[in-house]
Order: sequence, then C-alpha cells, then structure tokens
Amino acid sequence: MKLNFARVVATLHLIVFILPSHVRSEEKPFRPEPGKFPPIEKAHAYRGELTFVDHANRRGSIRIDGNGRFRFTRPSPFALLPYGIVKYHGAPSDLRDIPLGTVMHVKAFLPPDPKTSSVPVLPSDNRLKRDGYAGTGVAPAENHVYLLEDEPSHCKRLGLVWKIQEVELKDNAGIIVAHRMSKSGNGDAHKETFSIDAATRFWRGREQLHISDLTDKNVLTENGIESLKDGVVFLGITWKPTPGGVFKRFHLRDIWLDKLAMERATHLQNETHKKFIMGRWMPGWVDKVEYGKFGQAKITVSLFGGMDDSLYADFKQGQKAMLAASENTLKHWAGGTAGTAQVASQGIVLDVSKPNKTVPLGSSGIQITLKTDLVTEGFRTGKVIRIRPESWPLLEVPREEYINHKRDGIEKRFPTPDIFPKY
Amino acid sequence: MTRIESLGLAAFIVLTNSALAFANEKEEPFRPEAGMFPPIEQAHAYRGELVFVDHANRRGSLRVEGTGKFYRNDPHPFALLPYGMVRYHDAPADLRDIPLGTVLHAHGFLPPDPKTSAVPVLPPANKDKDAGHYRGTGIFPAENHILLLEDEPSHCKRNGLVWHLESVHVKAHSGTILASRQPRTGGKTKVEPETMTFDAATRIWRGRESIRVSDLINENVWPASGQKALNNQAVLLGITWKPAPGDGLSGAFTRFHLSDIWLDDTSIEHASYFQTEKHNSFIRSRWMPAWVDSISYGKFGQAIVTLTLFGGMDTTLYDDFKKGVGGQINGAENTLKHTAGHYGPGHMASGGTITAVNKSSERVPLGSSGIQIDFETDLVIEAIRPGRVIRIRPGNWPKMQIPREEYLFNNRPKDRFPTPDIFPKY
Repeated sequence: MKLNFARVVATLHLIVFILPSHVRSEEKPFRPEPGKFPPIEKAHAYRGELTFVDHANRRGSIRIDGNGRFRFTRPSPFALLPYGIVKYHGAPSDLRDIPLGTVMHVKAFLPPDPKTSSVPVLPSDNRLKRDGYAGTGVAPAENHVYLLEDEPSHCKRLGLVWKIQEVELKDNAGIIVAHRMSKSGNGDAHKETFSIDAATRFWRGREQLHISDLTDKNVLTENGIESLKDGVVFLGITWKPTPGGVFKRFHLRDIWLDKLAMERATHLQNETHKKFIMGRWMPGWVDKVEYGKFGQAKITVSLFGGMDDSLYADFKQGQKAMLAASENTLKHWAGGTAGTAQVASQGIVLDVSKPNKTVPLGSSGIQITLKTDLVTEGFRTGKVIRIRPESWPLLEVPREEYINHKRDGIEKRFPTPDIFPKY
Repeated sequence: MTRIESLGLAAFIVLTNSALAFANEKEEPFRPEAGMFPPIEQAHAYRGELVFVDHANRRGSLRVEGTGKFYRNDPHPFALLPYGMVRYHDAPADLRDIPLGTVLHAHGFLPPDPKTSAVPVLPPANKDKDAGHYRGTGIFPAENHILLLEDEPSHCKRNGLVWHLESVHVKAHSGTILASRQPRTGGKTKVEPETMTFDAATRIWRGRESIRVSDLINENVWPASGQKALNNQAVLLGITWKPAPGDGLSGAFTRFHLSDIWLDDTSIEHASYFQTEKHNSFIRSRWMPAWVDSISYGKFGQAIVTLTLFGGMDTTLYDDFKKGVGGQINGAENTLKHTAGHYGPGHMASGGTITAVNKSSERVPLGSSGIQIDFETDLVIEAIRPGRVIRIRPGNWPKMQIPREEYLFNNRPKDRFPTPDIFPKY
C-alpha cells in the first residue's frame, strides 16, 4: 500500500512537471503587432553562439543550442526588432560590439511583417522540430529578436551569479565546473562544465591575468588555484570545438573574479554605446501626429528602451532637437552633400513625459512631443524615427548606415534574406 | 654654386622625383601566379576600417582611407589569399578575432584568378580613380586579394615603429592626442603628426593593468581639462574609426579614434600572448594550411606528397611537424574550408606519416613558412594535386569536429567558390 501511494505521488509529480513544459512547447508563437511593444513573457527563449554579423542591417546568425551535437548546427539567421536591445558586459551595445563566437541569450518573436522580413521566414512550429544530430529547436521561426544578451548581462538582469565548484588544469588548459544561481543562494542552480585554456582572460580588479597565474601563489592567495573554488564570478562564454566525444561544451573566454572587475568592463561598454547613440541619434517611433498648417505639426514619439539613463536625460523641454525618418533597420536617410542632418527636421521639444508605471522592455517609457514646421512622409504614426537633442554633437554617419535618397533602391530599405547561405 | 646652378639642381630633383612618382603610379598592378608566393614589395598597400566580416569564407569589407572624406567611403570588399596572413595585437589571428571598426593595414594584389574571385573584380587601375562624391582617390583598389592584414600594433612591431605622444587635450574624459609614428630605435624622422580622438571607453594598458582615462587623470598623469605635453612618450596604439565632430564638409577629412593605448612592453606582450594562444588553439582544431608542391606517385593510391606550410603562425605549431610523426592531410579550398567534413575532417582525411621536414635557410616570402614537408600516404585523392590547398594535422594535435559553416558537404560549386553577391552595392 505504501509502495502504491509512493507511486501515485511520483506519478502526480511527473504530471505536474511535464504538463507545464508541454504547455510551453505547444504555446502559440507570438507575433508582435505594429505600434505595440510586445510582452517579453511571450517571447521564445534560446541561446547560441554568434557566428555572423551584418551590423548595418541589425541582423546576423546564431548557432542555437538544441541540446544535440552543437557543431552540426547550422547558423540560424536573426534580425533585431527596431526596438530590440543588445547587451554586452552588462551594458547596452550594438551588434558590432559583440565578438564573433560569443554565446548569447535570446528572447525572440515571429516576424511582425513576414513580407518585409530581412531573414528567412520559417514555419511557426519550427522550434519543435528536430534537425538530425543538431537537436531540437535549432532554427526557430521566432527569429526577430527582442533581447540579445551575453552571459554577464543575462546574470545581472536576473540577479544571478556563477559559483565555481571544480577546477581541473593540465598544461595551461582544463575544465571548470560551475553553478549558476541567484545571488541570495536560493532558487534552482544550473550546473555546467566549461573548458578553459591559455587564452582565457581572468579579470581581478584592474588586472588581467592568464591561466598560468592561477597556479602562481604569488598572484592568487596562498592557496593558489584552490582559492577559486566557491568563488562567486561572472563568466564570458563562447564556443569552440571540443576534443573527444563531447557533443557540446562551452568555453570560457573571460572570468571576472570580483565585482570591481565586472563593473569596469560594464563601464567601458556603456561609454562605447553612449558615444554610438549620440552619433546615430536615439531611436523611437511615432505615437501620433497633430497636423498644423503649411507643414507644421506636433509629433509625439516614444523613445526605445535599453539605453543609459544619461542619454534620456538629455531630452529636455524647451530645447531644440532634430528628428529624422528611419527604417526598421534603424538606418538613417541622407541626401545632398551634407549627410543625414541635412534631411532631418528641426523643432522644439514641447514636452517630455515619463511614466510612473512599469514599461515593456523595448520601450523607455519616455514620450517626447516635438513641434516642427517640416513634417515629412517619414513621420507617420507607427514609423521608426531617430531623434537628436541639441546638446549631442552633429556627426556624420558612415555610408553603410544610411539610405541615400537617390542612389539606393528598395533593397536597401528592406534587405532580403539572400545574404544568408543555405547549408 | 651660382643661382642658375642651384635652379638647375632643383629642377633636376623635381623632374627626377616626378618621373619616379609617375613610374610608380603607372606600375602595372601585380597578379600573383599559381604555386608562387608573391613578393610583398609588389603589393599595393592601403589601410582602412574593418566594417564587415564573413570569416567562414575569409573575406570581408574595409572602408579604405583615400584622399577624401572617410565617412563617405563605401565598404570595399576584400578576400584573403589562401596564404594571406592576419595579425592582431602582434600575433597571428583569424578574421573572426578582429573587432569591427579596427583600422587595419592591408597589402593586396589583383585576384590570382578573376573567374573564381569571391569579391568583385575591378579594373586594374582603379586605385588611381577619384570615386567622386567627396570620397577621393584610392578607396576602391582592384588589389583586393590580401597577403597581409594587420592592426596598428602588429604593423608597428613588424616595422620597428612606435608612436610618440606629443600632447593630449582633455575635456570631460574625452579629447584628442597628437602623435607621430617613429622608428623605435630613435632618430626621429620627419613625419607629420596625426591627431586622433579618444574617449572614456578608450582602454589603456599598463603592465597587466587595464586602466582608463579617468585613472590617468586621478593619478595626475593627464590633466582633467586642457592640454599637456607628453614629451614624445613612446607607446603603441590601437586605432579604430568612429564619426568625429568636423567630419563634415568644413572639418577634418579623416580622424581616427584610439580604442587602446599600450603604455609599455609588458602590456603589449600580454595582449600578444592571449592572441597567440587563441590562434594556436584555432589552428590545432582547423589544421595547418599548406599547398602541394609536388607528388611522387607510388602504386595502389600510395604517394609521397611534398607540401609547403603557409606562414605567419606561432613557431610552436611548426615545431609539431617532425620526421616520423603520423598525421592526416585533407583537401581544402582557397577559402581554407575543409572538403567533406560532415563527420569531421579527420573522417575523410588521408592518414600517413611525415617522412621529411626541410626548413629553408634563405629568406622566405611572406605567406610561406619556408617549411617543406614530405608526407607519405596510401590514400592520395583528387584534392591532393600540385598547386592545391590542403590542411595537414600532425598526430599530436587533438581530433576536433569543426562547425558547419567551415566545411563543405556536397561540394556544390557555389559553396566551393563563393560569389561576390553577398556584398551590397552602394
């Protein structure tokens, strides 16, 4: 009787655990609607290695972890949504900042408009399909990315850390076994084995150490390598082929041994991105247009999210600003000889409103109302724009990052998926 | 010397210089021949910003510095020659290792075989053309097949150069540096100093420390605001490009940006160490590239294959090729992709033994290691022919499986010979 009761309990447990995971995998894929920031809870989540980048069109390819033989997995094309956010080292970034090979966490949706998708449009249940030895879910239809973040960014966002459990070294290479867990130590821990080698960078405060330092007791504490065990760290994860019969083992490019080291990496990336956004202008989209006479209008825009707060703080009521039409790739338009600023419209910021409620991920929650006397076709409700407060320097955008109104054709506005090889 | 004699001498110098310059300009662009490493002296040299990478096919795009406004220049496609070398942080590198935005020095040639070029084939005189639209001359050279692609520290180390910092101008953790590239051994040459920008994201390396502009300000090495003479402090610089104020019609035509400053030898050696180790691991998994010089056929598929290992690798890799050591040889393409590697290159490759290792005592051209190997195999296949590119692995390198995009499966022509279609036309 006891045995039977135990079986019933065990069966109930199995049902309780299996049912939700089955529900998740059968959940209807979500397609974002125009003019609405989608809820991240509806996104399909996966992770993979960045293998290709076309940063000018905000797209690339990822080798997705399908729990199979990782090296068999063909790179899967993805495109960033216009309000899609990239994070690297815990800071905002552009695709160009992410080294090839970096393992990224992805939250993605179906293409909002399949007709203009810049990456292949796939059957919506593709994530359930098995692709031979590569495993399941290696080419999901959810290839329009809302959030793309490296491991430290993922951990920081979710309040997670890695704790080193084992280190085995031989000839300047070896493995590290680590647990990812919440900072408080509660919650489910994810255990993983990684390879390390002589090119792995160990960051301690301002210092950059190499693996041979781990065995040097003058560099670490007197316990040498033993001092790393139970240490709380951040990990920079990549992939490279693994010898032997290992199907999938990720590799550690960076290990941040303390908080200061991680903060310094975050700071550098944040400064890089701030300069980048000042040069390319803040992206947003048009919420509404109140037309006046003779080309005059009040345009209300929502600024996209994920930037450093200091950038948003530069938008102030009463200041001058420039507004430029853009595309889903966030490319500028340009004409004439003076670049992108020449075709932008000038105006005055009438209002800056900040919400006091939680906003979805892709939105900053900040709405700007700009009065201009040059409302153009590019400023229609739902259209993507770029906006620059007067305090930002007026810089020229490189050739591949704008669309020339005379020299570029429709394929520059809506890049096709032809760039991606078929394997 | 009378005034007339002086004028005559001056005119002679001007004429001689003009004639030489004209001869150089009119020099026929060089096209590498099959089976021969081309002399670097015949290469066209230029530099530019890396803006696109297709590492699996060893090609990409550079925004080439010309005589006009840099930001206007369209990305210019390039392909690495099979024996083309990439160097980053004064160490061997693969294209995937170079961050987008890095300014690189290129030595390029015309495509050896225009029919199979992976990048657009251009008129040989293209480097002398003004591209218009304020872009200037030299931004689309036909010499887009690269023998050597190196970042600034690698370029300086190879040529025995350093940067002398003359002065720094700081404002809000950003600013400009005035510097000139000089011989390391001293004896200042007359070089026009270059103004480059830096900002709070510029990484400064001192020994093993990674510091930033704010640290130098806190240590009173640099001023918090204003200008300071730096007395020709010798450093190495990591150069990138980003839009700078004044790029427009009335400002500077080209102003590069500093991503990194290495303040001492230890710091650049540290960076070089990491990159070397990374590349050693990469080559061990992808195998050493080489080409076949000759084949001495035996019977029933047996042959002794003589091949030359490509150059530019760390010496520890070459040291693994020893007489009597077993190994494997596999067919490859000009992209260095392995052929038929679905089950790993080791599955399809021909096994054998290294029967001789000959190291040239003469100066070898860039692209070659100067090391010839005799490899005896009992499975000589179609891909192993004189002039063909192969990959070879000594037995002590680990057997690895390589990722899908780095090998050919069905050997379709479009995979073997990628077309230039991937590159947008501006």
